[in-house]
Amino acid sequence: MRPENYQAVKLGDSNEYEIFIGPNHPGIEGNYAFRLMLDGDIVVSGKADAGYLHRGFEKLMEGRLWIQNLAIVPRICVPDPAPMEVAYSMAVEEIMGIEAPIRAQWIRTMQLELSRVAAHLFTFGGHAATTGMYTPMFWGVADRDLVLDLFEDFTGGRVYSIYNIPGGVRRELPPEFLQKLSNLLDYLESRQNDYDNLLFTNQVFVERAKGCGALTQSQALELSVTGPNLRACGLAYDVRRDDPYLVYDELEFDIPRQKHGDAYSRILVRRDELFQSIRILRQIIERLPSIKGKIRTPIPNPLSWNVRKGEAYARVESSKGELAYYVVSDGGDKPYRVHVRGPSSMHAVQTLEFLAKGARLEDVAQIMFSLDACPPEVDR
Amino acid sequence: MKKELKIKQKERTNPLAHVFDDFIRFCQSKSLFMLHYCTGCGAIELPPAMTSRFDMERLGIQPMVTPRQADILLITGYVSIKTLKRVILTYEQMQSPKYVIGICSCTVNGGMYWQSYATAKKLNEYMPVDVYIAGCMPRPEAVMAGLQRLKDNIRNDKKEHKGSAWKDYFKRYDYYLGNQQALFGEDWQTPTDIIAEAKLYGLETEETYGKHTKLLEKHQTPLLPQEMRIK
Ligand code: SF4
Repeated sequence: MRPENYQAVKLGDSNEYEIFIGPNHPGIEGNYAFRLMLDGDIVVSGKADAGYLHRGFEKLMEGRLWIQNLAIVPRICVPDPAPMEVAYSMAVEEIMGIEAPIRAQWIRTMQLELSRVAAHLFTFGGHAATTGMYTPMFWGVADRDLVLDLFEDFTGGRVYSIYNIPGGVRRELPPEFLQKLSNLLDYLESRQNDYDNLLFTNQVFVERAKGCGALTQSQALELSVTGPNLRACGLAYDVRRDDPYLVYDELEFDIPRQKHGDAYSRILVRRDELFQSIRILRQIIERLPSIKGKIRTPIPNPLSWNVRKGEAYARVESSKGELAYYVVSDGGDKPYRVHVRGPSSMHAVQTLEFLAKGARLEDVAQIMFSLDACPPEVDR
Repeated sequence: MKKELKIKQKERTNPLAHVFDDFIRFCQSKSLFMLHYCTGCGAIELPPAMTSRFDMERLGIQPMVTPRQADILLITGYVSIKTLKRVILTYEQMQSPKYVIGICSCTVNGGMYWQSYATAKKLNEYMPVDVYIAGCMPRPEAVMAGLQRLKDNIRNDKKEHKGSAWKDYFKRYDYYLGNQQALFGEDWQTPTDIIAEAKLYGLETEETYGKHTKLLEKHQTPLLPQEMRIK
């Protein structure tokens, strides 16, 4: 088309105008777009525009074998893939009526917590960058890389590990792994002061983040907010404690929470959670060597593996919120239906639209990053 | 009446022309601005590659936020059809010379999602791709190696067959447009006038035109005088 033929859409007589943020924009998280109606720099209304990452996951999974699906489930949420594998495996185990051996359950717990540490470190950087601070981004990503090195060590993959299968985990831990993990935890704890000075008590950040995108508890519940975003409103709800799975009922940890429900509370909850995860990991390091046994309950030949008829709903607490898999089997070699209940679709669509209303244009990016939604999981 | 723009390419008579060309290619390869369109999961390996651990700035490559100032378009993973439209708009807005890097197996042949109804499978059917970095997902080292390969290609592009893939878009516009129309419908239009640009660069060939570019003209709204549009 020749440029002369391109006509801008004109709105009626008003001061309002429309702008797009995304899909290719530094202030947006991933491939996602947000359409804003503005009056001056105050947002009149916002509309989420998802679907850029849609791959038809739930349909794809109906066409693949039970074991093949393990390769695609982690791809639903890229920054925090481990809970996806675990939740899917747990759902399939429940249908089959088997249980992973106790050692495998401990290893899975360790994997989940490590993944949470990596995801939170990543979020700090992203959130800080939306307020114009780029150093936390460099620190967070570099420290996250150390965690990814450990992942590579014990699963073979940096980001996508595909380490779980229904019935357990695939490999034993490499020798000296727990020592390495313990060293890493020491290092992360030693960084606490640096991070506090740089980010969490830094006035440049605090002034911008306080009061930005505040949610009350009842609003949060109405909008189906879960995870750290809900705990930032003062409600200590955590699947790990309220509906324990794996070995969380044997572990000691607190549920951090904050009162105000704004962007600052949300990042503080994540900061505290990071250190709670370190506390959990320390207990795992202590207990794991004394837990002996198999790491996998045998399953039939996976290429001709019919899971018996039934359905299951398995949920875990991912770093973004409550994550659940609803799996239905009709007795065939492929799932009949898989549904993913992801936290991000609630956070990035309805909550973001709700919070953007009345916010200032420069805060929209911060609100989005403070909710820590992950677009691939919105679209699936 | 439309008046055809006639631009004559200057004859190159300077005996030192190739020295200048070499020098320009050298400079180009040392300073590249990269627009990364985070189309898929591969984008998660870019922050490590950009920040202190792997640090792609030492190769002279920096992220850039707008397509008009960028040299490299990095496609990081599967492209769904909705995204592909935006990718093409972005690509056409970029100024030549421009380079495309496809990260991840999904851009090569569909990868994991070969049977998905929502993704476009091969990126090079829709735009010329300079370098592919395969892997699911490629590690930061692989990303760095791919960028290095692109730099070498640009620098050693004497015969114009490796670092000049962007010219192909003008030379065979009909082919690329045909594939785009097959996906988006035959009234697919972009705001950039590729044919006029091809003429401007002196890159039009027989394959620039064809039955698909005819469709483009057919669905185009007729040109109106400027004054009538302003109201
Ligand atoms: S190749 Fe793998 S990592 Fe890359 S976009 Fe495709 S599924 Fe994601």
